[in-house]
Amino acid sequence: MQMLFRVLVVSFWLTGCAVSVPDAPTEPMSASVELEGSPALSLLQRAETARQQGETAAAERYLERALNIAPDSSWLYKSLADLRLFEGDARSAEGFALKALRLAPDHPQYRADLWELVATARERQGDKTGADEARQHAADALMPGKPV
Amino acid sequence: MAKNTKKTPARSRGQSPRKKTPARKKKTASRRWFSWAFVAKVSLVLLVIGAAGMAYLDAMVRQRFDAHVWQLPARVYARPVELYEGRVLSREDMLKLLDLMRYRKDSRASTPGSFSAQGNSLLIHTRGFHDSDGGEKPRRIRLSLSGGQIQFLQAGGDGLARLEPLQIGSIHPQHAEDRVLVPLEEVPPLLVEMLIATEDQGFYDHHGVSLRGLARAMLANLKAGRLVQGGSTLTQQLVKNFWLTSDRTLSRKLLEMPMALLLELHYSKQQILEAYLNEVYLGQDGARAIHGMGLGAQFLFGRPLQELEPHQLATLVALLKGPSWYDPRRRPERALERRNTVLGVAVEQGALSQADFDKYSARPLEVVPRGASALYAFPAFIDLVRRQLARDYPPEVLSDEGLNIHSTLDVLAQLAAEGALKEHLDNRDPKQDKKLNGAVVVVAPAQGDVLALVSNRNSREAGFNRALDAQRPMGSLAKPAVILSAVQQPQKWSLATLVEDGPIQVAMPNGDLWEPQNFDKQARGAMPVVDVLAQSRNQATARLGLDVGLDKVAGTMETLGVTRNVPRYPSILLGSLALTPFEVAMMYQPLATGGFSTRLRSITDVLDKEGQPLARYPVSADEVIEAGPAFLTQWAMQQVVDNGTARSARAYLPEGLNVAGKTGTSDDYRDAWFAGFSANHLAVVWVGRDDNGNAGITGSSGALPVWARLMGKLPQRSLSQNPPAGVEWVWMNPNGQQVSAEGCGDARRYPMLEASIPQDADGCGAVKQTGKGIKGWFKGLFD
Repeated sequence: MQMLFRVLVVSFWLTGCAVSVPDAPTEPMSASVELEGSPALSLLQRAETARQQGETAAAERYLERALNIAPDSSWLYKSLADLRLFEGDARSAEGFALKALRLAPDHPQYRADLWELVATARERQGDKTGADEARQHAADALMPGKPV
Repeated sequence: MAKNTKKTPARSRGQSPRKKTPARKKKTASRRWFSWAFVAKVSLVLLVIGAAGMAYLDAMVRQRFDAHVWQLPARVYARPVELYEGRVLSREDMLKLLDLMRYRKDSRASTPGSFSAQGNSLLIHTRGFHDSDGGEKPRRIRLSLSGGQIQFLQAGGDGLARLEPLQIGSIHPQHAEDRVLVPLEEVPPLLVEMLIATEDQGFYDHHGVSLRGLARAMLANLKAGRLVQGGSTLTQQLVKNFWLTSDRTLSRKLLEMPMALLLELHYSKQQILEAYLNEVYLGQDGARAIHGMGLGAQFLFGRPLQELEPHQLATLVALLKGPSWYDPRRRPERALERRNTVLGVAVEQGALSQADFDKYSARPLEVVPRGASALYAFPAFIDLVRRQLARDYPPEVLSDEGLNIHSTLDVLAQLAAEGALKEHLDNRDPKQDKKLNGAVVVVAPAQGDVLALVSNRNSREAGFNRALDAQRPMGSLAKPAVILSAVQQPQKWSLATLVEDGPIQVAMPNGDLWEPQNFDKQARGAMPVVDVLAQSRNQATARLGLDVGLDKVAGTMETLGVTRNVPRYPSILLGSLALTPFEVAMMYQPLATGGFSTRLRSITDVLDKEGQPLARYPVSADEVIEAGPAFLTQWAMQQVVDNGTARSARAYLPEGLNVAGKTGTSDDYRDAWFAGFSANHLAVVWVGRDDNGNAGITGSSGALPVWARLMGKLPQRSLSQNPPAGVEWVWMNPNGQQVSAEGCGDARRYPMLEASIPQDADGCGAVKQTGKGIKGWFKGLFD
């Protein structure tokens, strides 16, 4: 069974190479990928509404509650990073984006987006070298077969 | 001051204090020193003094009334209990929470603060609360609990509900007064009716002083031959509570009347009533004076005033005649009799029906036992909150402005931690002759929330806060910092690298020799780094640490969050540095999260007295250790529990749960430590003696059982075994220098940083497992 699986995976991979399209999930990453059916999803939605209304404290409280329910959600950490960047706290934003990366699924575009978020947060802290490094990671993320 | 102004007229007549003295003098005409001019002068002086006195009283009355009524201590709340389907929560714990929050059993759960339970199914009418996110309105929710979790929740909306946070304390540093402010519109009308019927039937008609009441009192006093009745109106009683002592002296009485009149002049009956209800003295709880009906309700019945039943309201009114004399806890017969008298008067005045009287006068007092309240039940944690608040708020803001402090305390975790410490120490030291005590800190590592803090085996006792202030050598708790420092240099060390466990000597600058010993006084020879940690070998750790470099190890401790000065002495490798249990939790927090440092917080939100958000203490995350070395260190710490010095913990933990930790024992068995974590709980336990004497315990025997019991009671998530990018699982030859394969002799599997995977293979299995194991894949494919 395992052998069959490996053969299948390898053949898909090889097919992918032949037409030179990376073997990436085509579905865009979204909150519902991780949080479908979880009450954390509705807290995330409330957080987004609160943020749009400028109620950042409420947004934060919602996200913290959501994390208590779904502590391994990369998307929630990404949302926290976005919120912090929005609030002007670039340092925290970087930390949360890196945390989101640790938990991120193997989704090249999503990982690249997170590295881009890290790069922006570093830029805002005046860390040009760090930002460049993060951008390199973002580019690598979109290259097939390269661990990032 | 006030008394002086009253004495002046009294002196002119020798005895009588009455103000009309000068007028009477006019009639006794023909003394030699008498002259109209003299009378006029004296009158003028008295008039001026009297006017000044009244003006002074007036200012005093207004200033105090305007300012004092609204002085409210900050109140501290535990974290609200979040309810959602799938949440791990046993029925037993749910009922424990409802009991702590004084929910009343009511088959229809018709009012906030009530619930009904039928088998696994619960109907709860929540009380609602304010929060930074808007909070919750009171509502009825239905849930069923089985298999240790919430199986079903019907809460309307999106499947989420919260129970209001439990109040766990208040902060009132200056005067030990406490109060739960209840606006008049929220006071049960029956309480007001009973109060007026019993204490001052003419309240709405008089102007602060009731002559009829006074006459009745005088008659009673004459009969008794001493002062037995005050005849005071509610306004006078308020004056007494606000400004005067409770001595029954004539001078007090004389001040009381003009002040009551002034009060009525400036303020409405409604304002006076509201102030009275919130100010009146109802008893003493140790050093804490109980003022006001709101706090009285909590103190006696553990519930908000709005939730009390008629007989309980009557008990509060009964207390007014003498809080100590009618104390329902110490004098239940007296209190019951007086309560029924109040109920009887309420019937006479038409405030209560005869049927209700019959029903409620038959009820017992139903006061909760003293100390049963969650308020002041967690002094160690409140101390932490107080210290964190003191950094940001001046004392008067905390004592006066009625702030609502939302804390991180998890009541169930706190109770589990208290229970685990007490149970263990009661076993080890039942008569307390070994003077063992201890401390526990429980943290949710990802957010840095302090969930529980215990600083005494008798956790209700305030006093020395061992969790925050007992600074003790951390012993082997330092070793993970040595291991981490080593694997951060992957070209030199992996967890498989061999280190010699044998005698070691270091010459100190002062000429002394540092010669660390192993706990068992044995030398085990060469052993892999992971075993050095799992078996807590001192000599091998010292050798490894010195090779890595003292500066590196000390730097790692600082990176992990040690804020004290870390001296560059070899003995720090084995934990000579003294930390408090709380500081150990800070140091272990990044190890528990795979390298992210977060400030430990005991407060999440501060709201003003209306429930509007004022400030937040947000979570943070700083990547202080790279993913790879963090994962390796965490894995090595798992081996401590799986097959090292902490394996006895397994008996208390669910099978298959991955947890990590480290035992620690200081010299001469003075301090026993255990610090360890799952994915969602980090707990640090210290056991020792306050006098720093030999406690005769080790980390494994003294502290680990507390940790294991505690962790076994909390809902746990396993530490992830998925290595981060740059780390691979590799079978290694026991020599630590060659790659091997599964099933080859004593080959062991390790997580390895790519840079530390040797080029050499031992030939067994003939595979070099690098490049994400891709070659192994192909080999598997074609084998």
